[in-house]
Amino acid sequence: MIFVTGPLYSGKRAYAQKILGCTEQQLPARAVWDVQEQAAAAPDLAALADELARYEVVIATEVGAGVVPADPAERAAREAAGRLACLLAARAERVVRVFCGLPLPLKGGLPE
Amino acid sequence: MSGRFTLVAGGAASGKSEFAERLILESGPLPRHYIATMEIFDEECRARVARHRAMRATKGFSTVERPVDLPGALLPPGGAVLLECMTNLTANELFSPNGAGSAKAAEASILAGVDKILSTCARLVIVTGEVFSGGNQYAGDTDTYLRLLARVNRALAARADEVCEVVCGLPVWYKSENEVFV
Repeated sequence: MIFVTGPLYSGKRAYAQKILGCTEQQLPARAVWDVQEQAAAAPDLAALADELARYEVVIATEVGAGVVPADPAERAAREAAGRLACLLAARAERVVRVFCGLPLPLKGGLPE
Repeated sequence: MSGRFTLVAGGAASGKSEFAERLILESGPLPRHYIATMEIFDEECRARVARHRAMRATKGFSTVERPVDLPGALLPPGGAVLLECMTNLTANELFSPNGAGSAKAAEASILAGVDKILSTCARLVIVTGEVFSGGNQYAGDTDTYLRLLARVNRALAARADEVCEVVCGLPVWYKSENEVFV
Protein backbone atom coordinates (compact mmCIF):
# COMPACT_ATOMS: atom_id res chain seq x y z
CA MET A 1 0.00 0.00 0.00
CA ILE A 2 1.12 3.51 -0.80
CA PHE A 3 0.01 6.15 1.65
CA VAL A 4 -0.46 9.58 0.06
CA THR A 5 -0.85 12.57 2.32
CA GLY A 6 -0.66 16.31 1.88
CA PRO A 7 -2.53 19.58 2.31
CA LEU A 8 -6.09 20.17 1.11
CA TYR A 9 -6.47 20.50 -2.70
CA SER A 10 -2.80 19.73 -3.30
CA GLY A 11 -3.43 17.23 -6.12
CA LYS A 12 -3.30 13.95 -4.13
CA ARG A 13 -5.98 12.12 -6.14
CA ALA A 14 -4.47 13.23 -9.46
CA TYR A 15 -1.16 11.86 -8.21
CA ALA A 16 -2.79 8.53 -7.24
CA GLN A 17 -4.28 8.26 -10.74
CA LYS A 18 -0.86 8.90 -12.19
CA ILE A 19 0.95 6.22 -10.18
CA LEU A 20 -1.85 3.67 -10.65
CA GLY A 21 -2.18 4.52 -14.32
CA CYS A 22 -5.95 4.72 -14.02
CA THR A 23 -8.81 7.10 -14.77
CA GLU A 24 -10.89 9.05 -12.26
CA GLN A 25 -13.69 6.50 -12.78
CA GLN A 26 -11.39 3.56 -12.01
CA LEU A 27 -9.91 5.18 -8.93
CA PRO A 28 -12.55 4.13 -6.33
CA ALA A 29 -11.79 0.44 -6.94
CA ARG A 30 -8.09 0.90 -6.22
CA ALA A 31 -7.79 3.83 -3.87
CA VAL A 32 -9.62 5.34 -0.94
CA TRP A 33 -9.45 9.02 0.00
CA ASP A 34 -10.49 11.46 2.71
CA VAL A 35 -9.79 8.68 5.19
CA GLN A 36 -9.15 11.34 7.86
CA GLU A 37 -12.94 11.68 8.00
CA GLN A 38 -13.37 8.03 8.98
CA ALA A 39 -11.10 8.35 11.99
CA ALA A 40 -13.43 10.09 14.44
CA ALA A 41 -16.15 7.42 14.28
CA ALA A 42 -13.80 4.44 14.37
CA PRO A 43 -13.92 2.38 17.61
CA ASP A 44 -10.51 0.90 16.78
CA LEU A 45 -8.09 2.98 14.71
CA ALA A 46 -5.63 0.12 14.21
CA ALA A 47 -8.39 -2.10 12.82
CA LEU A 48 -9.48 0.72 10.51
CA ALA A 49 -5.90 1.16 9.33
CA ASP A 50 -5.62 -2.60 8.64
CA GLU A 51 -8.83 -2.50 6.62
CA LEU A 52 -7.82 0.61 4.62
CA ALA A 53 -4.38 -0.88 3.94
CA ARG A 54 -6.02 -3.43 1.62
CA TYR A 55 -6.33 -0.69 -0.99
CA GLU A 56 -3.38 -0.03 -3.30
CA VAL A 57 -3.40 3.66 -2.43
CA VAL A 58 -4.76 5.31 0.72
CA ILE A 59 -5.12 9.10 0.71
CA ALA A 60 -5.50 11.41 3.71
CA THR A 61 -5.71 15.18 3.85
CA GLU A 62 -3.55 16.80 6.50
CA VAL A 63 -5.87 18.58 8.92
CA GLY A 64 -3.74 18.93 12.05
CA ALA A 65 -1.64 22.00 11.38
CA GLY A 66 -4.08 24.74 12.35
CA VAL A 67 -5.06 26.19 15.70
CA VAL A 68 -6.50 23.65 18.14
CA PRO A 69 -10.28 23.71 17.57
CA ALA A 70 -12.39 25.11 20.42
CA ASP A 71 -15.06 22.45 19.87
CA PRO A 72 -14.27 19.18 21.75
CA ALA A 73 -15.69 16.93 19.01
CA GLU A 74 -13.61 18.69 16.35
CA ARG A 75 -10.58 18.41 18.61
CA ALA A 76 -11.12 14.67 19.02
CA ALA A 77 -11.68 14.19 15.29
CA ARG A 78 -8.49 16.01 14.43
CA GLU A 79 -6.58 13.97 16.99
CA ALA A 80 -7.95 10.69 15.60
CA ALA A 81 -7.14 11.78 12.03
CA GLY A 82 -3.51 12.38 12.98
CA ARG A 83 -3.19 9.05 14.77
CA LEU A 84 -4.79 7.20 11.85
CA ALA A 85 -2.27 8.81 9.47
CA CYS A 86 0.62 7.53 11.62
CA LEU A 87 -0.86 4.02 11.67
CA LEU A 88 -1.29 4.07 7.89
CA ALA A 89 2.25 5.33 7.37
CA ALA A 90 3.53 2.46 9.52
CA ARG A 91 1.64 -0.08 7.35
CA ALA A 92 2.64 1.48 4.02
CA GLU A 93 5.52 0.34 1.81
CA ARG A 94 5.79 3.91 0.63
CA VAL A 95 4.61 7.24 1.99
CA VAL A 96 4.41 10.25 -0.33
CA ARG A 97 3.49 13.82 0.55
CA VAL A 98 1.95 15.75 -2.35
CA PHE A 99 2.47 19.49 -2.18
CA CYS A 100 1.30 21.83 -4.97
CA GLY A 101 1.00 18.75 -7.15
CA LEU A 102 4.59 17.67 -6.48
CA PRO A 103 5.41 14.37 -4.71
CA LEU A 104 7.94 14.25 -1.89
CA PRO A 105 8.94 10.76 -0.69
CA LEU A 106 8.72 10.38 3.10
CA LYS A 107 9.24 6.61 3.21
CA GLY A 108 10.36 3.96 0.72
CA GLY A 109 11.10 6.31 -2.18
CA LEU A 110 8.79 7.33 -4.99
CA PRO A 111 6.94 4.62 -6.94
CA GLU A 112 8.11 3.99 -10.55
CA MET B 1 13.89 34.64 -22.84
CA SER B 2 12.35 32.80 -19.93
CA GLY B 3 13.59 33.60 -16.47
CA ARG B 4 14.49 31.03 -13.86
CA PHE B 5 11.45 30.72 -11.64
CA THR B 6 11.33 29.64 -8.00
CA LEU B 7 8.05 29.21 -6.12
CA VAL B 8 8.44 29.74 -2.37
CA ALA B 9 5.57 28.50 -0.20
CA GLY B 10 5.24 28.53 3.54
CA GLY B 11 2.98 29.05 6.52
CA ALA B 12 2.53 32.28 8.47
CA ALA B 13 5.80 33.62 9.87
CA SER B 14 7.74 30.68 8.43
CA GLY B 15 10.53 32.92 7.15
CA LYS B 16 9.37 32.57 3.53
CA SER B 17 9.67 36.29 2.69
CA GLU B 18 13.21 36.59 3.95
CA PHE B 19 14.20 33.40 2.15
CA ALA B 20 12.61 34.60 -1.11
CA GLU B 21 14.39 37.92 -0.82
CA ARG B 22 17.68 36.09 -0.31
CA LEU B 23 17.15 34.16 -3.55
CA ILE B 24 16.79 37.47 -5.40
CA LEU B 25 19.80 39.04 -3.69
CA GLU B 26 21.87 35.97 -4.59
CA SER B 27 20.83 36.09 -8.23
CA GLY B 28 23.51 38.66 -8.99
CA PRO B 29 23.67 42.32 -9.93
CA LEU B 30 20.38 42.43 -11.84
CA PRO B 31 17.90 45.29 -11.56
CA ARG B 32 15.52 44.25 -8.75
CA HIS B 33 11.77 44.71 -8.89
CA TYR B 34 9.33 43.99 -6.09
CA ILE B 35 5.70 43.42 -6.99
CA ALA B 36 3.63 44.35 -3.94
CA THR B 37 0.08 42.99 -3.75
CA MET B 38 -1.43 44.59 -0.65
CA GLU B 39 -4.50 46.70 -1.18
CA ILE B 40 -4.29 50.05 0.54
CA PHE B 41 -7.43 50.87 2.49
CA ASP B 42 -6.34 53.50 5.00
CA GLU B 43 -3.53 55.48 6.58
CA GLU B 44 -2.29 52.50 8.55
CA CYS B 45 -1.82 50.51 5.33
CA ARG B 46 -0.15 53.51 3.70
CA ALA B 47 2.33 53.85 6.56
CA ARG B 48 3.10 50.14 6.49
CA VAL B 49 3.66 50.17 2.74
CA ALA B 50 5.90 53.25 2.98
CA ARG B 51 8.05 51.56 5.63
CA HIS B 52 8.41 48.37 3.56
CA ARG B 53 9.24 50.37 0.42
CA ALA B 54 11.99 52.24 2.27
CA MET B 55 13.37 48.95 3.69
CA ARG B 56 13.53 47.39 0.24
CA ALA B 57 15.01 50.49 -1.38
CA THR B 58 18.16 49.96 0.68
CA LYS B 59 18.44 46.53 -0.98
CA GLY B 60 18.08 47.99 -4.44
CA PHE B 61 14.46 47.06 -5.12
CA SER B 62 12.09 49.26 -7.04
CA THR B 63 8.49 48.65 -6.00
CA VAL B 64 5.54 48.08 -8.34
CA GLU B 65 2.10 48.07 -6.66
CA ARG B 66 -0.12 45.40 -8.20
CA PRO B 67 -3.02 44.48 -5.88
CA VAL B 68 -4.98 43.31 -8.96
CA ASP B 69 -4.37 43.00 -12.72
CA LEU B 70 -0.91 41.42 -12.77
CA PRO B 71 -0.79 41.52 -16.62
CA GLY B 72 -0.83 45.33 -16.32
CA ALA B 73 2.51 45.37 -14.46
CA LEU B 74 5.08 47.35 -16.43
CA LEU B 75 8.55 45.96 -15.81
CA PRO B 76 11.73 46.62 -17.78
CA PRO B 77 13.03 43.30 -19.21
CA GLY B 78 16.01 41.43 -17.82
CA GLY B 79 15.45 42.04 -14.12
CA ALA B 80 15.07 39.94 -10.99
CA VAL B 81 11.44 40.02 -9.88
CA LEU B 82 10.03 39.18 -6.46
CA LEU B 83 6.24 38.88 -6.24
CA GLU B 84 4.74 38.76 -2.75
CA CYS B 85 2.27 37.38 -1.92
CA MET B 86 0.08 35.18 -4.11
CA THR B 87 -2.40 34.78 -1.22
CA ASN B 88 -3.14 38.54 -1.37
CA LEU B 89 -3.31 38.79 -5.14
CA THR B 90 -5.72 35.84 -5.28
CA ALA B 91 -7.96 37.27 -2.56
CA ASN B 92 -7.98 40.71 -4.21
CA GLU B 93 -8.87 39.31 -7.62
CA LEU B 94 -11.72 37.35 -6.09
CA PHE B 95 -13.14 39.80 -3.55
CA SER B 96 -12.01 43.35 -4.36
CA PRO B 97 -14.36 45.59 -6.39
CA ASN B 98 -11.44 46.11 -8.79
CA GLY B 99 -10.71 42.40 -9.08
CA ALA B 100 -11.49 39.89 -11.80
CA GLY B 101 -14.57 38.73 -9.87
CA SER B 102 -14.97 35.06 -10.66
CA ALA B 103 -12.46 32.38 -9.67
CA LYS B 104 -12.03 31.44 -13.32
CA ALA B 105 -11.26 35.01 -14.40
CA ALA B 106 -8.96 35.48 -11.40
CA GLU B 107 -6.97 32.36 -12.26
CA ALA B 108 -6.68 33.40 -15.92
CA SER B 109 -5.52 36.92 -15.05
CA ILE B 110 -2.94 35.75 -12.49
CA LEU B 111 -1.43 33.08 -14.73
CA ALA B 112 -1.38 35.39 -17.77
CA GLY B 113 0.44 37.95 -15.62
CA VAL B 114 2.99 35.41 -14.41
CA ASP B 115 3.58 34.11 -17.95
CA LYS B 116 4.09 37.68 -19.17
CA ILE B 117 6.66 38.43 -16.45
CA LEU B 118 8.40 35.07 -17.03
CA SER B 119 8.80 35.81 -20.73
CA THR B 120 10.86 38.95 -20.10
CA CYS B 121 12.57 38.65 -16.71
CA ALA B 122 15.89 36.96 -15.92
CA ARG B 123 14.79 35.71 -12.51
CA LEU B 124 11.40 35.33 -10.84
CA VAL B 125 10.59 34.40 -7.25
CA ILE B 126 6.96 34.17 -6.18
CA VAL B 127 5.92 33.85 -2.54
CA THR B 128 2.73 31.98 -1.73
CA GLY B 129 1.02 30.78 1.42
CA GLU B 130 0.62 27.25 2.69
CA VAL B 131 -2.83 27.57 4.26
CA PHE B 132 -4.14 24.11 3.43
CA SER B 133 -3.17 21.96 6.40
CA GLY B 134 -5.41 23.28 9.15
CA GLY B 135 -8.63 21.48 8.28
CA ASN B 136 -10.93 20.66 5.39
CA GLN B 137 -14.29 21.91 6.60
CA TYR B 138 -14.65 25.10 4.62
CA ALA B 139 -17.68 26.52 2.88
CA GLY B 140 -18.79 29.42 0.72
CA ASP B 141 -16.31 32.18 -0.10
CA THR B 142 -13.53 30.63 1.98
CA ASP B 143 -13.74 27.36 0.08
CA THR B 144 -13.91 29.16 -3.27
CA TYR B 145 -10.81 31.12 -2.28
CA LEU B 146 -8.90 28.04 -1.10
CA ARG B 147 -9.72 26.08 -4.25
CA LEU B 148 -8.59 29.01 -6.41
CA LEU B 149 -5.35 29.54 -4.48
CA ALA B 150 -4.63 25.78 -4.64
CA ARG B 151 -5.17 25.76 -8.43
CA VAL B 152 -2.93 28.80 -8.83
CA ASN B 153 -0.25 27.23 -6.61
CA ARG B 154 -0.31 23.97 -8.58
CA ALA B 155 -0.17 25.81 -11.91
CA LEU B 156 2.78 27.88 -10.65
CA ALA B 157 4.52 24.75 -9.31
CA ALA B 158 4.15 23.14 -12.74
CA ARG B 159 5.79 26.17 -14.39
CA ALA B 160 8.52 26.63 -11.79
CA ASP B 161 12.10 25.43 -12.10
CA GLU B 162 12.20 25.05 -8.32
CA VAL B 163 9.54 24.73 -5.65
CA CYS B 164 10.14 24.79 -1.93
CA GLU B 165 8.21 25.07 1.29
CA VAL B 166 9.97 27.15 3.92
CA VAL B 167 9.88 25.74 7.45
CA CYS B 168 11.54 27.75 10.24
CA GLY B 169 13.39 29.74 7.60
CA LEU B 170 14.75 26.57 5.93
CA PRO B 171 13.66 25.32 2.49
CA VAL B 172 12.21 21.85 1.90
CA TRP B 173 12.62 21.27 -1.85
CA TYR B 174 9.81 19.60 -3.79
CA LYS B 175 11.26 20.40 -7.19
CA SER B 176 14.80 21.36 -7.87
CA GLU B 177 16.93 21.63 -10.98
CA ASN B 178 20.01 21.79 -8.89
CA GLU B 179 20.14 19.81 -5.67
CA VAL B 180 22.95 21.87 -4.16
CA PHE B 181 21.10 25.12 -4.29
CA VAL B 182 21.37 27.77 -1.55
